[in-house]
Amino acid sequence: MTRKDWSRLEGLINADINVVAIGNSPSAVVNQLVAGGGRRAFDVINIVGGMQQPLVDADLILPIEVDRLSHWDANHYIADFLAPGTPGFDFIGYQDTVYGVPTVLQADSFAYLPDETGELDSLGALFDPRFRGFVALEDNYTTAGQKTALYLQQSGLADIDDPSNLTPGELRTVIDFLIEKKQEGQFRLLWSSFEQAVQLLVSKEVHVMDCWEPMVIVANQQGANVRYAQPSEGYLLWAMAAYIVNNPTRSEEQLEATYQMLDFMLGPWYGATITDMRGYMTNPLAADFARESDAFDQATAERVAAIDEDVKEKFEFGGTWQNRWPDEVDLYEEEWQRFKSA
Amino acid sequence: MPRQAARPVITRLLQRGLYGAPLAAVAALVVGPLAVMVMVSFWTRTGFSMTPDFSLAAYSTFLGSTRLDILFRSLWVAASATLIMLLIAYPAAFLIARRVRTDAVRTVLFLFAVPFLVNYVVRTFAWTEILGRSGWVNTMLLNLGVIGAPLDWLLYSQFSVYLGLITAYMPFMVFPIWLSLSAIDPRLEQASWMLGETPRQTFWRITLPLSLPGVFAAALFGFVGAFGEFAISTVLGGTGYQLLGNSVISALNVINYPLAAAISTFSVGVMGVLLLIWFRVFDLRLFLGKIMGRT
Repeated sequence: MTRKDWSRLEGLINADINVVAIGNSPSAVVNQLVAGGGRRAFDVINIVGGMQQPLVDADLILPIEVDRLSHWDANHYIADFLAPGTPGFDFIGYQDTVYGVPTVLQADSFAYLPDETGELDSLGALFDPRFRGFVALEDNYTTAGQKTALYLQQSGLADIDDPSNLTPGELRTVIDFLIEKKQEGQFRLLWSSFEQAVQLLVSKEVHVMDCWEPMVIVANQQGANVRYAQPSEGYLLWAMAAYIVNNPTRSEEQLEATYQMLDFMLGPWYGATITDMRGYMTNPLAADFARESDAFDQATAERVAAIDEDVKEKFEFGGTWQNRWPDEVDLYEEEWQRFKSA
Repeated sequence: MPRQAARPVITRLLQRGLYGAPLAAVAALVVGPLAVMVMVSFWTRTGFSMTPDFSLAAYSTFLGSTRLDILFRSLWVAASATLIMLLIAYPAAFLIARRVRTDAVRTVLFLFAVPFLVNYVVRTFAWTEILGRSGWVNTMLLNLGVIGAPLDWLLYSQFSVYLGLITAYMPFMVFPIWLSLSAIDPRLEQASWMLGETPRQTFWRITLPLSLPGVFAAALFGFVGAFGEFAISTVLGGTGYQLLGNSVISALNVINYPLAAAISTFSVGVMGVLLLIWFRVFDLRLFLGKIMGRT
């Protein structure tokens, strides 16, 4: 989003919007809020959800009063996919309390170059010897590691109860498998940035890549022929959540403006715009609004509707919800180090 | 009288303030954060928060895990890369000091500084364009018929990490060696020749020993940079080429500050030992005095 786009919101509320990129890793977020003075500088942080436990324990975010959001009840995706008692709730809530407003929902799989590999429909492609040396994984145990756990579970290669929250023994099994594949030369690299991942696809440096769908969209815009797989094992499901920062100096008037902003982000214009820009599902109002509003042309409206329908089907198909803060998070980090240094 | 006596006192106070301010700034900006880092390395971590303590838990985790292997790898990579960089930087500095015309030296040294005008992460990413399977080098070799298939080892390999380290830090090393060589009194080498030594013997017995302070300074620049490196290993290392800098970042990502501090303290300790060796073997004041034209 450019600053210009926020003028639509600024016209609705009596406040200026200043958007700053703060990173998405747990340490980047916490460093900004604790050490970087972020509690006083920011009203809202919009990051991949699932960070409630560390943020709440450190008193960095506030509970959401959903009654103050006019679009909350109309967003049936919250009830369908993020309801209390379901794994999706872990992306917006903690201990039965809602802390995050879902701004984006997405189901991740992997990208492939069909001209080089043929059609692929299994996470097993990441470990298939036919593509040895032409596979890249994300340098992230909550994505690549969890997809590997899902694959091992679904294919019956390992006894894994919950791929999103591995026990120490399960985690070692997953990492041992990855190390075995690494030492066989299966992986070309672990990527760590958006631009790098796009370039790997465009240059055909790799043919199969664990990645996010927007990378596929950008790579195709750059002339590559890349597809995003529909794996039979299921998807890595996740949601972005906008949190209200526990700013001790915020006035009631500013808090009201903050809620108006969150409501705007739950609204149809913002949703349709993000879906068009990034290929993510946002809220159920977005597709209809894009179709009926003058703000979007017909082609864009059709694209927004198609993306919305596609991601919704993926959620209905299911998979494993990404876990940004598993119980054994330190062991995850330690084991990922073992994989990387092997 | 009292007014006259007060003047030297005020002057002394001003002088002390003038000298003391930079020292206070160094203490606040360098020593202070280092002290905090050492302190935090002994703290205990409970979930998301830390408690002031004197615990060796973080050091135990560091030295009792795969991170110890990463430490040894980092030491080996930094030491071997420094040796390779010295073998390139010394001849380059020697040529600049002895073969390049005096009026052209400034231009040549400027050329060595040109890479620093581009952010080194961007420079590192540029290597992926050059060395990739469809990069310039492979394309050229394929077009010339030298190879039948792209060379995979050019990128995401040990080779590319060393190449990245050398191109990032070797230019830094040319300058202190050149300074050291330039500061050698030419009469010493002339005396060696007049006493019958060959140019090669003169180099080994006069030039090289006298340039060693600069060589060690250069080695320190290269070693410190390579030892703490994280971007080059991330971008060019392929499947998780881990150096100690990567390990620190990984610990920070799970908000394990004591562990990150323990790893950092350990590496600062290694650097401290190297500096001590430098001070024991070479007289730093002599080296700096020569650079500044004093003996």
